[in-house]
Amino acid sequence: MNAATLAERLHAYLPVLLAGAAHTLMVSAVAILAGFALGAVLLGLSLARGGRGPLPALVAAYVSFFRGTPLLVQLLMMFYLPSAAGLDLPPLAVAMVAMAANSAAFQCEILRAGLSAVPAGQVEAALAFGIAPRQVFRYVQLPQVARAVWPAVVSEAIDVIKNSAIVSVIAVADLARGGRQIVAANFRPLEVYLTVGASYLLMTAAVFAAGSWLARRTGKGRALSARVVNRTAIRS
Amino acid sequence: MIDFTLLAELLPVFGQAALRTAALVAAGMAGGLLLGFAMNAMRETGLRPLAALYWAYTTLWRGVPFLVHLFIVYFGLPSVGLRFDPFQAAALTLAVYSGAYFAEIFRACWQRIPRGQVEAARCMGLTRRQVFTHIACPQALRASLPLIANQAILVMKESALASVITYPELTMTAGKVVAEQFVYVEPYLLLALSYWALAVLINRLGGWLRRRAAL
Repeated sequence: MNAATLAERLHAYLPVLLAGAAHTLMVSAVAILAGFALGAVLLGLSLARGGRGPLPALVAAYVSFFRGTPLLVQLLMMFYLPSAAGLDLPPLAVAMVAMAANSAAFQCEILRAGLSAVPAGQVEAALAFGIAPRQVFRYVQLPQVARAVWPAVVSEAIDVIKNSAIVSVIAVADLARGGRQIVAANFRPLEVYLTVGASYLLMTAAVFAAGSWLARRTGKGRALSARVVNRTAIRS
Repeated sequence: MIDFTLLAELLPVFGQAALRTAALVAAGMAGGLLLGFAMNAMRETGLRPLAALYWAYTTLWRGVPFLVHLFIVYFGLPSVGLRFDPFQAAALTLAVYSGAYFAEIFRACWQRIPRGQVEAARCMGLTRRQVFTHIACPQALRASLPLIANQAILVMKESALASVITYPELTMTAGKVVAEQFVYVEPYLLLALSYWALAVLINRLGGWLRRRAAL
């Protein structure tokens, strides 16, 4: 990796960086998808039975913990606390669980904002017409929520890709880790980390571009989604 | 399960570390707010090259993980003669990284100023600069306060990564206790509680500022 010209060196970095990027994308994809599912479950739990009982407070505590403490701290806790109890977990699995648990807190709030962005009058009107609550959810709320939340979900996906660099700290062989490995071998930190940064930029820009393309294609529901993004994205 | 005498022993250590985290966050916030404000002011001049610079800055810095920026600054820049100690590197990176987000917050608040106000002021003979300072600033800055408080919590969370370049703030301190004393539950409990307390503190501070600034 100490080849003469910059082009040759970049070519030598490529296999390590590509392997790292594959791990980064895998961890991020799992985090976003599992986080979405878990976030939806959390929201369902906090809204079930009209929000009575201890569940809403528990969900609020979950969300507050995962949004109020650093992801690095959550990751270290999930990695070292089980190992203190004699349970040795593979870093990759811990990384995926931690990232998904973290993203779930953010996506739960995105979905909550999406649901509250649907005018209450529509639901009341549908119920007054005698449409079953289940059908109101399926045909009145769900289509609008889906359109409203995805710009915020795209923005969350970009945050997840960026945040995933943290999993390198527990020795997951992601893109950031790949950079450290190359630097350990060739002592050229500036060009290696700039290349790593450019690789991340490529991935986040690709997700952003895909999101914008989808935004133009669907078009509708822009006012709703703007409200959801305002309420949640800046926080994440 | 939880050793309370150990907790009491660790408390002053974590207090010290929390002060270092607070110093880091304060430095990052101060630098980030100044840089973000300056960047938005540049964009508001309406000059093409400055607007392009604004776009490049916010895109490049927001599209790359904070950890990678930190590596570039702390490990990369020494090879071109720029050497920083861990605090300087972390504070500088935090400032420039959060500056990109603050710039976007200010931009959003500036764009929310009704066009009619700006046009009316221009018709009355106010210069662009006067419109910026006397019409837009008071309203936009007030509107930006809740967003700045949110961003401050984000800055606090990113500051945990300073532990990776060995600045002895909260996360690094917890890691040291774990490595030296082979206890896990107490330091991580204290660590999570410390960050949570800082987040509550920042929220309170933001609320207090907002009430003071309210009309």
